[in-house]
Amino acid sequence: MNTSLAPQIRSNPIQIAKVLKYIAFVVALGALGLSYVYLKNIQFALGDEIRLTEKKIKQVRAENEVLLAKTTELSSRRALQQRMSNGSLQVVQISGDKIARLTPALPATEDGVLRTASNERAAR
Amino acid sequence: MKRPECIRIAFACGIVALIFTIFSGRLVYLHITKNKEYKQLAAEKHLMRQVIHAKRGMILDRNGEILASNLPVRTVVADASLIKKPAAVAALASQFLGLKEADVLRKISSQKKYIVLKKEVPEEVYVAMEAAMQKANLRGVTFEQDAIRTYPNGETLGHVLGFLDHDGKGVQGIELTMNNLLAGKNGYRFIERDRTGKEIMLYRGTEQEPVHGSNIRLSIDMSLQSIIEEEIDKTFKELKPETVTGIMLDPKTGEVLAMANRPCFNPNEPGKAEPEQMKNRAIIDMVEPGSTFKIVVAAGALNEGTVTEKTSIFCENGRFLYGGRILKDHHGYGDMNVHEILVKSSNIGSAKMAMLMGGDKYYEYVRKFGFGDRHGIELPGEICGLVHPPARWDKLTITRMPMGQSVAVTPLQITMGMSVIANGGHLMTPHIIKSVEDRDGTKILEKTPKVVREVVPEKTARFIANALVGVTQPGGTATYARVNGFEVAGKTGTAQKVSSKGGYAAGKYVVSFVGFMPAEDPRFVCLIMVDDAKIASSLNYGGLVAAPVFSRVAEKAARHFDLTPTLPPIPLQQLPMAKADTQEETTH
Repeated sequence: MNTSLAPQIRSNPIQIAKVLKYIAFVVALGALGLSYVYLKNIQFALGDEIRLTEKKIKQVRAENEVLLAKTTELSSRRALQQRMSNGSLQVVQISGDKIARLTPALPATEDGVLRTASNERAAR
Repeated sequence: MKRPECIRIAFACGIVALIFTIFSGRLVYLHITKNKEYKQLAAEKHLMRQVIHAKRGMILDRNGEILASNLPVRTVVADASLIKKPAAVAALASQFLGLKEADVLRKISSQKKYIVLKKEVPEEVYVAMEAAMQKANLRGVTFEQDAIRTYPNGETLGHVLGFLDHDGKGVQGIELTMNNLLAGKNGYRFIERDRTGKEIMLYRGTEQEPVHGSNIRLSIDMSLQSIIEEEIDKTFKELKPETVTGIMLDPKTGEVLAMANRPCFNPNEPGKAEPEQMKNRAIIDMVEPGSTFKIVVAAGALNEGTVTEKTSIFCENGRFLYGGRILKDHHGYGDMNVHEILVKSSNIGSAKMAMLMGGDKYYEYVRKFGFGDRHGIELPGEICGLVHPPARWDKLTITRMPMGQSVAVTPLQITMGMSVIANGGHLMTPHIIKSVEDRDGTKILEKTPKVVREVVPEKTARFIANALVGVTQPGGTATYARVNGFEVAGKTGTAQKVSSKGGYAAGKYVVSFVGFMPAEDPRFVCLIMVDDAKIASSLNYGGLVAAPVFSRVAEKAARHFDLTPTLPPIPLQQLPMAKADTQEETTH
C-alpha cells in the first residue's frame, strides 16, 4: 500500500477550549453590558421615584401651607369678630368672682363685675 | 499569494486605516480641542437652571399670632412645542382655569415655549387639573410654584404691615423695611429634561439650597391693637373726622404695643386703596401738638431751676399782651404754680415759663424730648417734624411754642415725649420689631430697650406726672379720661388746624389726649389724636373728644393687662355730646 499517494486529509480541528474561552468572554462582556443597561434602568426608575416623591413632598408641604393660611384666616381676630357680630359666636363676660387672683382686686362696682370705664357711651 | 494581490490588500487596508485615522483625528479634535465649547453648547441645550424659590418669612405679633403669611398658588404655563393635541389641552385648561377655550387655543397655537395661561391658581385646582391631564394623556402644561401674601386681619395693622408689589418686594411698612430678612435667598439647581419635559434625575447637576426668609416678631400685641382699632374706628364713624390716630407703647422699653390710623386700607387689596388711606399718619403726619407740648416747658423749667414746685406765676387773668398780640387762656387765671398751670392748661403760664427759661434753653429741652428728630422706628417714611432753632424764631415764637404752636411734630413724637414723663425721665428708642427668628423659632436677633438719653431726672418726671394726674381729676381739662379703679395721668391738646393756604383754618381743630396708666407705675402710654372732628367748635376739645376714647381704650387695656384696680369706683359721667342728644330727644 502506497500511503504516500493517498490524499492527505488536512484537518482543522475546532479548538473547543479556545472557542469556549471566547464564548465565555463574549457572554461576560454581554452580561456586563446588560448589567450596565439594567443598572441604568434601575437608576432611571429610582430617579423617577425620587422625582415623584419630591413632588409629593412639595405637594404635601403646599397643602400644609394652604391649611395653615386657612386656619390663620378663620381664627383671625377679624373673622372671629365677624362671627361674633353675626351671632354665631358669643362671648360671656367673666365676673370678678370667677377670676382667681394672687392679689385680691377691689370690686369696681356693686355687681362684682370688673368694670372700669367711667364714661361708656352706653351711659347716654 | 501573488504580488499584485498583496498590493491591493495593502491598499485597501491603508485606505481603511486612513479613514479611521481621519475619524479618530476628528474625534480627538471634537472631544479634546473643542471640549469646552461643545460642552457649553450641550449644557445650553439640555441643562436648565431651575430656581428653587425661598419662602418669605411670616410676620407675627408678640404672642406669635400670624399677621402675614403665604398662600401657595400655581402659575399655569404652557410649552406649545410639547403640545400635541392643542384642542384637547385648550378645552381642559378652559374648564379648570375659567378661561375662554378660543383664547387658550390662540395662545398655545403660537408655538412659543413659555406661555403663561393663568397666575394665582389655587392648589386644589392645580391638583384636579394635573390629574385630568394625566388621565387624558396630555402634556405641555406645567404648574410653577408661587405664593401670594395674605394678611388674615385685613385692615387691622395694615399701615404697619405694608404690602408687596407684583415682584414680591415689600412696598410699605414692615414688608419694606425688613424685606431683606423676610425675602430670604432663592436657591437653584441645574437639571436636564427629557423630550416630554420631565426632569432626568440622573443628570441633576449642581444644587444650591434656598435660604428661607426669617420670621419677624413684632412688639405689637394684637389684643391691644384690636382695642385701639375698634375705638378709633367707632370715633371715625361717629365724628367723621379727617383722620384718627392711636398709638400705645410701653414707656419702659419703648416697645410699640399698638398703632392704628383711620382712614385705613386692606393690604390684601392695595390696588383698591387711595394714597390717602395708605399713609401711616402716626409717623409721617406733622401736626401742631397743642397743649400736650406744655409738659416740655414745665419739665425744662423745673429741671433748670427756673421755677420751683412752689413758684407762683401770674397768669394775667387770661389776657397777656406780648409782641403786639394778645395771648389768651380759656379762663382768666391769677397766680398759679407749675402744677396748676398744667392742670388748667394755661397758655400764659406756659409762655411765661419759657420766657423765664430763655429761648436757647427751652429749645434745648424741646430737642432733648426728641422733637425735631427721627426716632428711628423700623417703619418707612418717618419724618422729623419741624422745630425751628431760636435764630429763626420771631418775637412771638417764645410764647407760642410752649402751648404747642409754631412747631410741628408727629403723633409718635408726642407719645415718646409723654413716655419720658411716664418712665422717670428717659427718652427711649421706640421699636416695633421684637425679634427676628428663623423658621424653627430660634432667635437670630432680639431687640433690647435702648435709652437715648436722660431728659430730666426722675424727681422732675415724677412731679410732672403728679400734675398730669391732676389733669384727669375734677377741675382738670380731661376728667373724661378717667378710668374706674385707676389713676390716669395725661394731657389734652387742642390745636387749630394749619391751613394749606397759610395761617389757621377756621373752625378746624386737631384734638388729642396723651396719657399713661396706672400713673404710679405706668404699663402703657397711649395717644388718641382726632383731626377735624365734625362737631360743634364748642365741643371740639381734646378733653371732650379724645379723652373719652382714651378712657375706653385704657379700661379695656387694664383688663388685658389684668391690672388690679387701686382706687374706689367713680360715678359715671355723661359726655356733653350725650347730654345734647338726650335733650334733643326729650324736646322732640
